[in-house]
Amino acid sequence: MTRDFFTSRWGMIISVIGIAVGTGNIWRFSRIVAQNGGGSFLIPWVVFLLIWSVPLIMAEFAIGKLTRKGTIGSMATLAGNRYAWMGAFIGFVTTAIMFYYSVVAGWCMYYLSASMGGTLSSTSDHMALWESFSGGYGPLGFHIAAMVIGALIILRGVRGIERTNRILIPILLVILVTLAIRAVTLDGAWEGIAYLFTPDMDRLMDYRVWLQALTQNAWDTGAGWGLILTYAIYARQKEDVSLNAALTAFGNNSVSLLAGIIIFSTIFALSPGEGVKELISGTGSTNTGLAFIFLPQLFQKMPGGVVVQTIFSSLFFLGLTVAALTSLISMIELATRLFTDMGLHRRKALWLVFGMGVLLGVPSALSLQFFYNQDWVWGVALMISGGFIAFGVIKYGTDKFRRTAINGEGSDFQIGRWYNVLISVLVPVQVVVLIVWWLWASTTWDPDGWWDPFRPESLGTCLLQWGIVILVFVGANSWLVRRTMSSREVS
Amino acid sequence: MTLSTLFTAVVSLGIVWGGFIVFMIIAIKRERAK
Repeated sequence: MTRDFFTSRWGMIISVIGIAVGTGNIWRFSRIVAQNGGGSFLIPWVVFLLIWSVPLIMAEFAIGKLTRKGTIGSMATLAGNRYAWMGAFIGFVTTAIMFYYSVVAGWCMYYLSASMGGTLSSTSDHMALWESFSGGYGPLGFHIAAMVIGALIILRGVRGIERTNRILIPILLVILVTLAIRAVTLDGAWEGIAYLFTPDMDRLMDYRVWLQALTQNAWDTGAGWGLILTYAIYARQKEDVSLNAALTAFGNNSVSLLAGIIIFSTIFALSPGEGVKELISGTGSTNTGLAFIFLPQLFQKMPGGVVVQTIFSSLFFLGLTVAALTSLISMIELATRLFTDMGLHRRKALWLVFGMGVLLGVPSALSLQFFYNQDWVWGVALMISGGFIAFGVIKYGTDKFRRTAINGEGSDFQIGRWYNVLISVLVPVQVVVLIVWWLWASTTWDPDGWWDPFRPESLGTCLLQWGIVILVFVGANSWLVRRTMSSREVS
Repeated sequence: MTLSTLFTAVVSLGIVWGGFIVFMIIAIKRERAK
């Protein structure tokens, strides 16, 4: 049983919002909105907030508080020992994401330093700057720096997590509000806001827009990653589940909307007419293209001179860095917790995770092809993780889970039977539809090579990597159960 | 600004931001009551 807890409800909520709010809220949300018909996207996005994010986040909060174990011990407790491998899979997927997410955090840190140092405002070719940086050894150094910062925070345990988030999340919100005020007061900004909220009724009927809205909720709320489950291990016994879960989900999506307002206002004001085309199919149509090439180009057009441009772009990259770091530390904590559950001393577990993180992040730091492969394989695997969490709840007994784990001690709201339908029917259906759609879509991008496991974004590479990981964990299931369920946590 | 734009803005901002603010107020009240 853990002896460390978040000191208050607010400490926990702010830390969990730190998990949920990541770079995806800032650099993915806006371009996906643009590519899916503006306001037409927002309607299904709100629907899936309610039927994907809220039930899964609620489940994760309740599981962590109920089992007081990481993902492996949680699945063994909920679904039975023979399903511990599912928990290992959930933990592995998020840890595999950590290996390259620290590279992302490093990129943000570099661009923050480049902005503050004046490189961004003085360069005339942002594409060349990005290619020269991403093609060199710079990302490796910044990846290691991100892992060092993350490990130093986790070294201080749950208090370190809480204190860091108590400082960084308010800073992030102040930055976003400051940027929003400046962005919406630019000439022409309101056309961007109108675009963000204007629905195209034909697109609203397009099933792909609905699937993209579900995907955005699956990827950017942190639901189904096992991260919220891990933080909930440190929830006080009298801590509420349902209201905290709702606050997390709605808080995360509120930040996405704020980021959308900033980006659409900026783009329409500084690049009227052409900007949105860039976002849909040009330089800004990828995460890295938007954040590191297209937006820095626009920042140079901001009225007020170099000083204002530097302040605006530095605040933007500081926000992106903070969002990345608060998510990265939760991934380090998740992996560390898995090893402490197996009886390893916390410090040893952390250094093991740090060493693995630094080492296994090297390929993504040095090769964008490798990075895109990992992002594809483990991004889609997150949907399987969400399915496993729903499976664990179903095996435990959905109604029993609702009554004892969600509506248990400390509950502010009594959740009704509607939750049973959401977690045992709607979430599994969404998981199956999403996985099938993404894998089918990958065969259309590359009709000749979709089966090839050595292509970066193929169906074959997913099946090969998931298959290896699942086979290893199924084979090691008994060992995982023995180590996780019999050992006492060593702090 | 058309009616449909206004409707989408009110619905999305109302539900997402409004929901967050309402849940926050409830949480503050519950926390004070504990």
